[in-house]
Amino acid sequence: MRAKLLLQWTIFGCCGLIIALTTGCATWIELKAAPDSNQEPNVRVIARNEQVPLVMDSISNTRNGSPQNLSLETEQRLLGTLRRIGLFSHLGGTDSTEPPAGEKFVRARLLFDEDIDQHAGDKAWKSIVIGASMFILTPFIPLDYDYAAHMTLELERWDGQVKHYESQSAGTAHYQLFSATPLMVDELKGHVTESCLTALMQQMVRDTTFYSASSAPVLDRPIRSVSVKSNRSKLTPVPISTSSGK
Amino acid sequence: MQSRTLAVILLATITLCAPIPISYAGENVPRPTIGTQEIGLSAGYLFADCIKTKCKTKQSGPAFMPSWMMTMTDPIGGSWYQGQLSLGAEVVYIQFQEPVLSHGVGFTPKIKYTFVAPDRIRPYVEFAGGPFWNDLAGNIPEQHSQFNFILTAGLGISYFLTDQAAVNVGYRFQHISNAGTSSPNVGLNSSLPFAGFSFYF
Repeated sequence: MRAKLLLQWTIFGCCGLIIALTTGCATWIELKAAPDSNQEPNVRVIARNEQVPLVMDSISNTRNGSPQNLSLETEQRLLGTLRRIGLFSHLGGTDSTEPPAGEKFVRARLLFDEDIDQHAGDKAWKSIVIGASMFILTPFIPLDYDYAAHMTLELERWDGQVKHYESQSAGTAHYQLFSATPLMVDELKGHVTESCLTALMQQMVRDTTFYSASSAPVLDRPIRSVSVKSNRSKLTPVPISTSSGK
Repeated sequence: MQSRTLAVILLATITLCAPIPISYAGENVPRPTIGTQEIGLSAGYLFADCIKTKCKTKQSGPAFMPSWMMTMTDPIGGSWYQGQLSLGAEVVYIQFQEPVLSHGVGFTPKIKYTFVAPDRIRPYVEFAGGPFWNDLAGNIPEQHSQFNFILTAGLGISYFLTDQAAVNVGYRFQHISNAGTSSPNVGLNSSLPFAGFSFYF
């Protein structure tokens, strides 16, 4: 009788363990993509002799509003996506030299804003609950990691005309404690970034004729405007006046 | 006896840490991210904490604590308190050498907050608690049941030798009692200085 009871509890225990391990290791990514990012960029035809080179001028990256170091990975991804659509004859990174004056080329500037919400407070409470339950509640307590990206691509044609493209995408990784890996966060970021880039390319491809070599002549006076913008320079001076009129 | 045990623990820690290559060039700042796991082993010597309370039993003995932790968050906060939260579990084994030779083993979920603002020297605070079985029961006036609970609050410092390996030293306060499941229930309080190492992957 005792042995039978022990066997029953062992079977229950094993089943419970298997269920806990399988449901406790689940991960899924929910992507809230931009409407035009799900499809591949439209195909427009551009003659080979109409293609001009593109050179990356700058990439600015901010995370939760604070500036970050230049990410080579972001640049490589952008250049890779541009290469895939085949709009430009040659693609140069930020470290490459610009074509000599008088040649037709497009200058690109990318602003990449990332917004991360790792639900830290939520996780602190959930950690306490999971720990207090001796990990039994692990399968029933999902953890979340939100990532949103906003990209602004500015393309300046050889004649000084500028086009702006914008896209945004967001996603959430839902996971259980035992399935948390650094890879999962990378995967989420990869999906969101890809979605953003695809949306940008969608918009760019619609302007194929704008970037063809015959669309505009080269300016005789290649003048480039230079500007400095600082986020901190929003303080406006307050005039102080002293009056001695008594 | 105590100093010999301490010497053995110290020697074991040094021996186990010796193969870790110290290839720290400054730029390799350890950055555990969400999902980074940590396995570690700590060892120390437990002393009865009888400074404030009058205790009849002065338990003492070496303790070994293998542990596993999962990093729950990327660095949170933006000042000196910037840190990361980890959740994990630990097995506690204590060999009580005083008042009688006996053993205790427990399983404790553990939560840890590591301050990451300092570079490779990282202080942390930790809390753990869980069931604890020991055969001190009957040999001491404070406890008559073998099934107990152990609660731990501690602080320590991790020194990262590489971005994946760290040595730890710290202090823990431990409380062992049966949570009123049987009588008597006079808790045993102990101090536990410890040293150990962790690997991150």
